[in-house]
Amino acid sequence: MNQPTSRTLVVFGLLGGVLLLNLTLPILNFMLHADWRAWAAALNQPEARLAFRTSLAASAVTLFIMTLLGVPLGYVLARVRVPLKRFWISLVFLPLIVPDLAGGILLLQMLGPNGIIGAPLDARGIALTNNLAGIVFSQLFVASPFVIVSALAGFASVDTQLEQAAATLGDSRWQIFWRISLPLAWPGIAAGITLAMIRATGEFGTTLIMAYNPHTLPVYMWVKFESDGLAGSLPAAFWLVLLACFAVGFSMLFNRLTRSGGLMSPLGGDISGVA
Amino acid sequence: MHADVKTPAVFAIVVLFITPSFIISASAAGDDTVSVLYAGSLAAVMENGIGPAFTQATGYGFQGEAQGSLGAAQMIRNHIRTPDIFVSADPLVNDKVLMGSQNGNLVRWYAVLASSQLVLAYNPHSKFLKKFEDAETGKILWYEVLETAGVRFGRGDPTIDPKGYRTLFLFNLAGRYYHRPEIPSLLGDELNPAQVFPEVVLLTRVESGQFDAGIFYKHEVLAHKLPFVSLPAEVNLGSQEFAAHYAEETYTTKSGEQVKGAPILFTVAIPETVRHRQAALEFVRFLLSSDRLLAQFGFGTVVHRAGGDAAQIPAELRQFISGTFKP
Repeated sequence: MNQPTSRTLVVFGLLGGVLLLNLTLPILNFMLHADWRAWAAALNQPEARLAFRTSLAASAVTLFIMTLLGVPLGYVLARVRVPLKRFWISLVFLPLIVPDLAGGILLLQMLGPNGIIGAPLDARGIALTNNLAGIVFSQLFVASPFVIVSALAGFASVDTQLEQAAATLGDSRWQIFWRISLPLAWPGIAAGITLAMIRATGEFGTTLIMAYNPHTLPVYMWVKFESDGLAGSLPAAFWLVLLACFAVGFSMLFNRLTRSGGLMSPLGGDISGVA
Repeated sequence: MHADVKTPAVFAIVVLFITPSFIISASAAGDDTVSVLYAGSLAAVMENGIGPAFTQATGYGFQGEAQGSLGAAQMIRNHIRTPDIFVSADPLVNDKVLMGSQNGNLVRWYAVLASSQLVLAYNPHSKFLKKFEDAETGKILWYEVLETAGVRFGRGDPTIDPKGYRTLFLFNLAGRYYHRPEIPSLLGDELNPAQVFPEVVLLTRVESGQFDAGIFYKHEVLAHKLPFVSLPAEVNLGSQEFAAHYAEETYTTKSGEQVKGAPILFTVAIPETVRHRQAALEFVRFLLSSDRLLAQFGFGTVVHRAGGDAAQIPAELRQFISGTFKP
């Protein structure tokens, strides 16, 4: 029985390897041909530095908001008993299906200077597009589903008997959440947050419509591509790839520090047993 | 037992065979299809007008792609795109990015195709509709609408789009034409973030009513069915007659290059990246005999002059091109 199983693994490994090559070769090729010195220097241009800072600032705010709002939402969706629960959960996936440009247009009609929410605010001198707020709204729209879904899956995988046991010992739900549910669900959530951060930082289409200015790194990359061609856009692409690598590395390190050997499972679920 | 051993291998062979054949069949484009990389604002006329008409008249297929003129030229120069035809919204883009030995002589000649003009398009549900309509009928002047407090208008980005710096020319010309030197100050900074957007984004903003108005090409506005105010030929960059007048305005790019004001002209070229030469020749021939179709889409008719090295123009096209052009 052992023989066919290992053969299956080899074949699946080969097949998966083809896809993995398709995912990693472009990045590897790009990094191998990277002109590190010139691209590092290109980031010293004032516009590039501004784009870099804008991206970092916006992503940090987005991270903060989507964690604070997304994790509770995931918890509620995992625990609460409501009719049509699957329907409510599927709503979270909607932004993942909407194309980026369409997402930008939808947001603009809500938050733009003449939008349903944007217009009354605009009358009070508050603008929600073409500034950091516009970028954050775009990033939240495309990235927060990853946090919500990973939190949902993370909490769903926590054994409710543990929570019930704590409840019989007199703990409130608030205490149970912090002492039991969150720590157990955390590895999956952290991975989801990392994935969401990468998605947010790399966000282009929605941001372009919502906030062309100030340029984020991806928008800056596109502007340089349009004005100076490939050579002009490569430095920004390089820094975006590096940022993503840092984010993944940081997440793995953080996971290792907070919990031994948790495996990356961006959409949650208990796969740490595999490791 | 025998079947157990065999199954994964069969599965692998089937998958590895099917995947590439999907990719190959998805990437196939016929030999008799012309691929056209064209200036973004031409999307409507290319996809709804020229493309279908060309296919019907010649039997060749048409595959179009819209990009900013400058970006499109950069793509050809960097060999990211290998189109059979390049249609630019500015003759200079050919000269600066694709022609000459420093650019690998990717384009050796081009033909002037048509002219266009700048207009002030507005959203038909704007709060200031009455004012825009008054400007359209000449009761007030167009810039007076833009001076109205609360009117939001946008324009192209001069760093990535010829229309961006052409709009700067328009406002400077208007300042002189109306003897109102304060008109250019309506724009604020050249890159004023409250006004400057890429083409598609700006159209989205005006069409969705987030902006009241924007400066566009006439053919774009007709394609998107937006109402608009026509501007005098002295300022709209649409007339050959005022070429010398336009040329008094200049814009300096970030890289320090000077761009002079000039009539808005679209050009067509067959770059060296051409793969379907016969289809490309047919397409240029068709394009240069489509003045009436182009006029229906809002373009102005011009003499099809030749830019670059006229000696390189294929013999089949010579009869459609007359005179020489220097940007």
